[in-house]
Amino acid sequence: MNTTTIEAKAALGGALNPEAREIPLSSAQITDYDHRQTVGKITVDHPKMLCREVNVYYGVKHALKQVSLDIGANEVIAFIGPSGCGKSTFLRCLNRMNDTIPLCRVTGQIQLDADNIYDKSIDVVQLRARVGMVFQKPNPFPKSIYENVAYGPRIHGMVNGKAELDDLVRASLERAGLIKEVEKRMDEPGTSLSGGQQQRLCIARAIAVNPEVILMDEPCSALDPIATAKIEELIDELRENYTIVIVTHSMQQAARVSQRTAYFHLGDLIEIGETDQIFTNPKHKLTEDYITGRFG
Amino acid sequence: MTISHDAHTVKQFDTQLANLRNLVLEMGGLVEDQIKNAVKSLDDEDLTLAREVIARDQIINGLQVKIDEDSITLIALRQPVGGDLRLIMSLSKAVTDLERIGDEAEKIARMTIKTYDVVSSPPSAKLLRDVTPMAKLAADMLHGCLDALARLDVEMAVDVARGDDNLDQEFQSALRRLITYMMEDPRTIGHAINVLFIIKALERIGDHAKNIAEYIIYLVKGKDVRHVSMEVLEKDAMAE
Amino acid sequence: MNSLDDSAALPPPSRDIKTIVNAGLKRRHAAERRFRWFGLAAISLGLAFVVLMFANIIGKGYPAFWQTFIELPVAFDPAVIDPEGRRDPKALADADYAALIRASLRGLFPRVEGRRDLRELYGLVSSNAPFRLRGQVLDDPALIGATRSVWVLASAKVDTLIKGNINRTLDESLRPISDQEIAWVDRLIADGRLEQRFNTILFGNGDSREPEQAGIRGALMGSFYTLLITFLLSFPIGVATAVYLEEFAPKNRWTDLIEVNINNLAAVPSIVFGLLGLAVFINFFGLPRSAPLVGGLVLSLMTLPVIIIAGRAALTSVPPSIREAALGMGASKLQMVGHHVLPLAMPGMLTGSIIGMARALGESAPLLMIGMVAFIVDVPRGFTDPATVLPVQIYLWADLPERAFVERTSAAIMVLLGFMILMNGLAIVLRKRFERRW
Repeated sequence: MNTTTIEAKAALGGALNPEAREIPLSSAQITDYDHRQTVGKITVDHPKMLCREVNVYYGVKHALKQVSLDIGANEVIAFIGPSGCGKSTFLRCLNRMNDTIPLCRVTGQIQLDADNIYDKSIDVVQLRARVGMVFQKPNPFPKSIYENVAYGPRIHGMVNGKAELDDLVRASLERAGLIKEVEKRMDEPGTSLSGGQQQRLCIARAIAVNPEVILMDEPCSALDPIATAKIEELIDELRENYTIVIVTHSMQQAARVSQRTAYFHLGDLIEIGETDQIFTNPKHKLTEDYITGRFG
Repeated sequence: MTISHDAHTVKQFDTQLANLRNLVLEMGGLVEDQIKNAVKSLDDEDLTLAREVIARDQIINGLQVKIDEDSITLIALRQPVGGDLRLIMSLSKAVTDLERIGDEAEKIARMTIKTYDVVSSPPSAKLLRDVTPMAKLAADMLHGCLDALARLDVEMAVDVARGDDNLDQEFQSALRRLITYMMEDPRTIGHAINVLFIIKALERIGDHAKNIAEYIIYLVKGKDVRHVSMEVLEKDAMAE
Repeated sequence: MNSLDDSAALPPPSRDIKTIVNAGLKRRHAAERRFRWFGLAAISLGLAFVVLMFANIIGKGYPAFWQTFIELPVAFDPAVIDPEGRRDPKALADADYAALIRASLRGLFPRVEGRRDLRELYGLVSSNAPFRLRGQVLDDPALIGATRSVWVLASAKVDTLIKGNINRTLDESLRPISDQEIAWVDRLIADGRLEQRFNTILFGNGDSREPEQAGIRGALMGSFYTLLITFLLSFPIGVATAVYLEEFAPKNRWTDLIEVNINNLAAVPSIVFGLLGLAVFINFFGLPRSAPLVGGLVLSLMTLPVIIIAGRAALTSVPPSIREAALGMGASKLQMVGHHVLPLAMPGMLTGSIIGMARALGESAPLLMIGMVAFIVDVPRGFTDPATVLPVQIYLWADLPERAFVERTSAAIMVLLGFMILMNGLAIVLRKRFERRW
């Protein structure tokens, strides 16, 4: 398992900017902590985000322990694990949504391309424009469908003039596979749509600001199977242009949509690997127990 | 690398998996008996026993159908992954091989009848000399397979796979001997051909047993060791 | 992991479950029925009290909306009005119109003699009747010399008699009106010179010592100015405070302290705010006494905690998912609040504010302390004019013994209740209309 460390180090040295070399990752440092070693290869060839030794504390609770992992460009990576395992916590570190929680402390390093996102020079507003988020419950603003999608571009000042904004809104809705359903009812409130449509509206809203990464926190947990299938199909299409990180409770969903899967357990990243490997031949007993339904 | 022995949260799933495995082992036991009885009928010139063996093959075929149905039901209802998925797939494949072994046993029984059911004189004992040791080898391999499956024992499975080479060598030398006899005395050709079919069947049984052993290694280790050299197989099976 | 394995299966029920349940069923149903009856009885009692109160107030106050008028044939005698014949407006304004009324009354009842009886006769007509004549003459000087029949306001005791609130069978000395006066009134009724009309005076006049001339306009305007000040001050400050405390303030000991104090402030008796207003606004800052400005300031102090608490409740009721959505889009905190949270919380905040304002409208105690209890005849025309407010007016009138004031007290209460219902209704409409469900 020491190979993991070595591989990670090699990848860091090679693919990234000089600053990246400074990210410490030696086994000596890791053993100081009470946590489980990660099984599997944490690095990828073309990383979009790099996370090294990320720890999250809620007050005195150590919610996430020494998580190191790469998120590849244009890949769908799924985080699975039982409730309270830290997968959502980790997801929220990636666009600093944890900042809003008092008493929450994050250590370690997370890079988006070459930028350390916890650096003082990075504004969360800019970060969240680059790393969009879709939430568990569809949460469109109680405004019109058009306004929902136009909101992001508007606050970031991305467009000049109404015509440009119209085009952007339409393009985003089209990409989210929603345009046919809402073309004639752009002025109706977003909340009048069905659950699945609302969630696709939220995805359209997120991609309207053209982010690089989209984080999805259990996006289908409130939807019926048909709506779920549509979202999954959409995720697959979006992979072409975006990097997608999805947290899901449904292992079948993780298996269907993702290329890589990471299994979290009690704040540890237990195992990461290609999705087909995780689901046919997991290496760690905890992973096996979880995915086969042996968890107490 | 991982096969968990902990219970599933859904207990019924455990019961169903255990039932499936027990059915396969039961079928394996039946097939083992079939081989033994078939060879015994040949040794003892017991045509009644040979007919019984032929009749009993239907039971094995029935079991195969039942096990396949159960596997499909389990996959449809439980969506197994990881070790569970490997278990079901391996069992389902092993069943196919067991059924073939059953067919080979039936073939031996038919050959027994063919050999002794004619007016001509029975074959000389030297023609049948190789059958007994080969039958023992084949039966041992099958037995080893079933034990390995029952205990999910990789080492035992590797032993079984290794045993196939011995059986193949036995088959080769038996073949050479038969050819010699046939060349010495062409009158024995009729019987020799029957014996040839029998030892071919025993050799096939060894191949099927090896397949099952490979499935067991896949089931336990998650490594596909079909169509690889023995060295690679051993290395993969013993790897942690 | 196998904890469930250990748990034994449920033991089979010892008795048939059906009989067990049936045995207790009757008792359960009886308890349920009893509870429903208690509830119904409680509601009926409450309703009965409300009906009683409304019946009492409306029964008493309704006649106040009607007022008795007497028709007098008035000869606009040039000798009285304009002895010099120059039609000088100043002279016309100063003329003795009461003499015309007196003459007219003498004409109607020529047999009345003696100063005492005459004064009683003149007392049938309200003391403001001459002003009415003056108004007519000033409007149209051509009236001088002519004789017109004019409807003038009857005095309060005539009005009370007409409304049947004086028992004629009582001994003369026990009632406010003499036999003689009753006879005159009956004559006037018989002649058709007496009529009840809708009481515009109630809504058009300020306070007065004469009940038939007293109105609530002064108090209404006073209430309006006071509430305007209260709203303009407390709403923006309250909303800003609520938003800051709820969305921006760090959670530490200081904000906790502030929170506790705001909650306590809401529970402080209102009279204390009055004392505070007296000490700070009037004595220290030297603002005018009895002014709506000071009243508004004091009521603002009282309403602020209510608005802050309602505002914070409205803000917390905005689901966190909307905040997350906005933050997740990259909105700054202020954008999140301004674009999403505040618009969604606004109906709730407005509702809370209106209810706070309704409470302020009904408040009298603190206003007594800052002098808004004075007898003020003039209708206030600004924030610094001396004024009173509706509840204080009611309090003042409720003190007066005349039957006509009792009527007017109830009428004023009806008006006050009407405004309360209107404001609460507005709050409900706002809530229903802008309420959103998630």
